[in-house]
Amino acid sequence: MAKTEVTSSTPATEAAETRRPRRAAPMPSHVRRDARTGMLLVSPALLIVSVFTLFPLAFGVYISLTNWPLVGSYQFIGFANYTSLIHNTLFLQSIVFTLKYTAIVTLPILIVGYALALLVRANRPGATVFRTLVFLPFIVGLTTESYMAVVELQPTSGTANFVLARFGIVKDTTAWLVHTGLAVTAVCTLVVWFAAGLTMMLLMAGMQSIPQELYESARVDGASWWSTERSITIPLLRRAIVLSLIISVVGSFLAFNQFYIMTQGGPGTSTTPVVLSIVNTGFSSFNIGLASAMSVVLIIVVGLISFAQFHFLQRGDR
Amino acid sequence: MRGSTKKRTLTFCVIAAAALVSAACGSTSSSTPSTSTKAFGVNATGTVHFWARQATDGVAKAMVAGFNASHPHLHVVLHLTQPNEAVTELGTAIRAGSVPDLVGLNDINVPIFSHQNALEDLTPYVNALPYKAALSPGHMKLATTNGHYYGIPYLADLSVLWYNKKLFKEAGLDPNSPPTSYAQILTDAEKIQALGHGIYGFSFAGNCQGCLGFTMLPSIWASGQHLINGPLGTQTANVTNNAPLKDILAFYRQLWAKHLVPLNDQTQNGLTWGKDFESGKVGILPGDYGFAAAFTTPAQKAEFADAPLPAVNGGNYATFDGGDDFVIPKGSSNPSGAWEFVKWVEQTEQQSRYPTLGMTPVRSDVLTPAFQSANAYDAVALHALGHGSVEYTLAYNAVFNVPGSPWFKMFEDAVYNGNMSAAVQEGQSGIQSTLDSVKT
Repeated sequence: MAKTEVTSSTPATEAAETRRPRRAAPMPSHVRRDARTGMLLVSPALLIVSVFTLFPLAFGVYISLTNWPLVGSYQFIGFANYTSLIHNTLFLQSIVFTLKYTAIVTLPILIVGYALALLVRANRPGATVFRTLVFLPFIVGLTTESYMAVVELQPTSGTANFVLARFGIVKDTTAWLVHTGLAVTAVCTLVVWFAAGLTMMLLMAGMQSIPQELYESARVDGASWWSTERSITIPLLRRAIVLSLIISVVGSFLAFNQFYIMTQGGPGTSTTPVVLSIVNTGFSSFNIGLASAMSVVLIIVVGLISFAQFHFLQRGDR
Repeated sequence: MRGSTKKRTLTFCVIAAAALVSAACGSTSSSTPSTSTKAFGVNATGTVHFWARQATDGVAKAMVAGFNASHPHLHVVLHLTQPNEAVTELGTAIRAGSVPDLVGLNDINVPIFSHQNALEDLTPYVNALPYKAALSPGHMKLATTNGHYYGIPYLADLSVLWYNKKLFKEAGLDPNSPPTSYAQILTDAEKIQALGHGIYGFSFAGNCQGCLGFTMLPSIWASGQHLINGPLGTQTANVTNNAPLKDILAFYRQLWAKHLVPLNDQTQNGLTWGKDFESGKVGILPGDYGFAAAFTTPAQKAEFADAPLPAVNGGNYATFDGGDDFVIPKGSSNPSGAWEFVKWVEQTEQQSRYPTLGMTPVRSDVLTPAFQSANAYDAVALHALGHGSVEYTLAYNAVFNVPGSPWFKMFEDAVYNGNMSAAVQEGQSGIQSTLDSVKT
């Protein structure tokens, strides 16, 4: 209705309106009612987000500007916690490790997930069972699987060594979780196994939404499998690919349980991700203010990465 | 992963929200017990909300049940805190101004709260106890701040040296002469290892920071040294000049390098600690008295024995005075009732029940000939109680228990990598910087 009123104005009235202050046209009552209803409907969600996300976030930022201990008094110390992070070698080391870990697992998760999606995208006999089996690690959960890995990676008694030693890859006595390189290999392998199923599901859903006519046309034109994938599947899957990348990158930045259970950040602090570093600062050293500052930095970094990825997605859409 | 992270985040949020509410209210309700020393803890009424750790639930449940059955005028309600969350839960409760009446707090964590003036001063009531001198010295030390008692020993979880008498005998050793120095531990372990058939001379929880502190520190204390010296605020790390520390690290290095310990020890994070000894495959194991709960058959009882943890070079012994202290948070709504329950638990009758509940009494005067014959394993631990000690610091968790702690990094580098000199230097600087970073 409002649109009709604007289009019906004459050039003369438009010129007059440019000369005098524009007054907002009164909103029709049903539009106001609709707006009120809309606000009413979203208000519970708004309230929940405000109470459980925005308020704690704002309060976390406030705590990060203090020397807040577990109990007792505290003082406002400005950005001292943030400036101290510049010289906090453990925190910086944990950021570097997290970046490395993210770089290591992101691409394998995508490639393995993509390959699995290719295998199961067609509704062949047995495809459902295969999908379920591949997705199962994600359902079981990383915590359970990390505990299982600790058992299976034990020297002399774990299944991993038993199998790999038969192929001469490692010794039966290899202690996977107490050497940095081996520990990272073990954790990354576990995470790829865990997360590839989710990527597969996301990409498979994207693949199944691509019109079959496009593939048939390509086949008629004599396109090879690879050129079909490169020219049809991958471009049309871009949104699903970016989404799965965002999920895996953010998940890697927030990695905690697998390291807490499998390596406890060790040997030394060589496999300590950022979140574990924050937890140790907050709940072992009881320096809540500093831990909050570390959390705020992490939120900003994850936010920037997610923003960049969304920006990439939108630019592609244009 | 997400569950735990969310849990931590939620704890953060609760602390934050609680603090805001607390700040808005303008104060926390704190009051000292108003009744006189004689009347305090006598014929109290109402309810006492008692928080105990999940790890020590056996004693807590038995004591609460026994007290409630015999005290109709006062009711104790037990709440078990989540594993490893006791400190955070209490901190949150204090921030929220809604505290329990009584807490069984891991004794190493008591200074964190007493130094923030968050606990009731129990000095006059502790001084009035006729058995005060018999209470665990380590527990008492951790409950003391500026000469005042902010807690009282509740239960003891002590470290001892377990050894397998059967393997000792088979190796030609005297099964009634456990090692009294680390040099003897090493030679005994070599003889036991020589038995073959998958038998190991020694074992330790090599990926469990807390377990290593629990079992190694007493031998250093018994040798007259501590790793942390000085009063809070100006504490210094004593590593590079600590001869017993370097000696015990060197002995552990030899035990590891000579393959006298199972390879799995390097990944033993404490979850299955002691199971190898329980299976009869290990000769000597520094461990927890609580392992005794698994030795139920007559054959096991005949096979396994415990002894005090010796000084590194012999001549003395000690134990880690672990376990819990009772503390009454400021703002408790029924401190008198809480103290009545505490006094009842401290009675010899209740303390004597501890061994069957997997713990050691906190009163050395419980050690009578009758107790000794009924509880042979615990008698060894209780005998060591008077020689027990602790490291008194606000940074115990950060220095020793946390994954990647400077203590554990030093152990790893010295024992597994053999870099003794670098490990000790790194230990000195790491422990010192951790002490400096913790707010007093």
